Amino acid sequence: MNTPAVSLRGLTKVFAGATVVDDLDLDVSSGEFFSLLGPSGCGKTTTLRIIAGFSDPTSGSVLVGGEDVTSTPPHKRDVNTVFQSYALFEHLDVRRNVGFGLRRKGIDRADIDRRVAEMLELVELGARGKDRPSELSGGQRQRVALARALINRPKVLLLDEPLAALDLKLRHAMQAELKSIQREVGITFLFVTHDQDEALSMSDRVAIMNGGVIEQCGTPEDVYENPTSVFAAEFIGTSNLMTGAYAAGAVTVAADLKLPIPGHTGSTDGDQICVAIRPEKIWMSDFTPAMVQTPGTIVSTSYHGSTTQYLVSVGTGVTISVLEQNLPRMRADNRWEPGDRVDIGWLPEHAVVLT
Amino acid sequence: MARARRLERKPAVAVAVTVVFFAWLYLPILTVALFSFNDQKSLSAFSGFSLRWYDDFFHNDALLESLAASLGIALVSAVGALVLGTMLALGLERVRSRRGRVIGAITLLPLVTPEIVTGVAALLVFTGVGLKLSLGTVILAEITFSIAYVTVIVRGRLANIPLEVEEAARDLGCTPLQSLRLVTLPALVPALLASGLLVFALVFDDFVLAFFTTGVDPQPLPVRIYSSIRFGVSPAINAVGTLMLALSALLIVAALLLPRLFNRKSSSLDLITGGERR
Repeated sequence: MNTPAVSLRGLTKVFAGATVVDDLDLDVSSGEFFSLLGPSGCGKTTTLRIIAGFSDPTSGSVLVGGEDVTSTPPHKRDVNTVFQSYALFEHLDVRRNVGFGLRRKGIDRADIDRRVAEMLELVELGARGKDRPSELSGGQRQRVALARALINRPKVLLLDEPLAALDLKLRHAMQAELKSIQREVGITFLFVTHDQDEALSMSDRVAIMNGGVIEQCGTPEDVYENPTSVFAAEFIGTSNLMTGAYAAGAVTVAADLKLPIPGHTGSTDGDQICVAIRPEKIWMSDFTPAMVQTPGTIVSTSYHGSTTQYLVSVGTGVTISVLEQNLPRMRADNRWEPGDRVDIGWLPEHAVVLT
Repeated sequence: MARARRLERKPAVAVAVTVVFFAWLYLPILTVALFSFNDQKSLSAFSGFSLRWYDDFFHNDALLESLAASLGIALVSAVGALVLGTMLALGLERVRSRRGRVIGAITLLPLVTPEIVTGVAALLVFTGVGLKLSLGTVILAEITFSIAYVTVIVRGRLANIPLEVEEAARDLGCTPLQSLRLVTLPALVPALLASGLLVFALVFDDFVLAFFTTGVDPQPLPVRIYSSIRFGVSPAINAVGTLMLALSALLIVAALLLPRLFNRKSSSLDLITGGERR
């Protein structure tokens, strides 16, 4: 098996009595696009800064390419960072910003010039080499920051919310570009973000962080389809969460509502369990025999263009959110109205039991 | 660029007050400059143009010696204050601590302390520890007094350089010292130039501190001028005054213009930083 590009072993960081990173273990494979996803204050940026060497862990160790770098200063680590603010050197032109790291390594001038030119081509800034950073747009500055870090071909590239400052359209374009650049250069990317969309669309694997620990780690499909904790289910996308006592293959959500969860094992009668169902996994028509069905009443509808969201009351105090595609075969004015009696149903595997 | 809305008509009163103010401020100075070119000794009647008082000055060894002394004091003080003030600014801005805030406040005290108090205090210290008064003691006093100016200006600029920029330098292979030399100091150049020139100009014509802390010979120029005026005003003093005025004006213009030049696309910065040669 290959040596992981980055390994964290029991990493802990305590700031003024608060544990920001709590006994974290993590392996990022070589060549992987790995995202640390979590709300602000979850410890993801602190983790990144510890890997870069800007912050010392209280305990635990950091390995880069199998080598323990826990007490190595940042300038000796084979790791480079793309900062959220880009942190460009305003007194140097674009070429010398990008060539800065190579010059520090004492590589000869002709070599630096050639590699800088190649790198600027890669990030589509070939014509802007002699400009000062202050003359560039936000997206261009972002690409200079990326080129300046990538050109050193580090074992791991650390990216600290690099797209957060861009507007929505540019952000989407840069997401695709970042992903394709990563494939082209084959360098391990460790990407920190609070944007679930970004993490899901770009990553090979995602780790959801909360309160200094990793709640769940897996492929984007895995963490979305099979959340293992309430936090994971709510932080990525939206979920209908229903809690109740388990008994004989069903969970009693309310006095008048028992949801069957066929196929679930691992709980004994009387256990309190939580079930999550994604709104888009619930059908309101065209049921198949395998589906779990329950009757309900439409409480409200809201129209979102490509989708319509219905809130359906299915029991005392239990309202389920259902997201329907506005398909061409359904007329926009021919949908359910509040007060309508409906049946809703879902496939058993889409009701995920959380721990 | 959007222009601020202006009043359509300038109020006559405001114009008059402005004219009177500038006349009050600059006419005496202009008179000094004018009479430095007078061909007679009179300070009230201008009888003809002549450079004789400048000639007088350039043949007056005592005045020339004082000019050289003052230029020397200003230069050494500016460099000394620049080095110490910048180090203090870096410490205050980059090492965050509660004590730092108190030290930062104390640093500003010389700016508000009456200069005569600083002068007397410096004199007391120097005689107390048995230092012989000389140009060296003047420099010591001037540096002490000027550090605050450098620290205030450099700190202001430093606060605008994000910490991430220095981290980026370290991330790209710089030791902390290289990061200071290659990234922080080049970004500080406009502030260093401005504060260096300001200190030079302030110290060059400073009278109070120099008066209290100087030895007998050579005396700084302002002290020399003061003592010679007591024996009657020679128009040669007008000539010296005009030269000092011209030098100060030149320095202030340079302090204002140079930072703008450095913000241009040019790479003239390299001449100063030296570290990033092509």
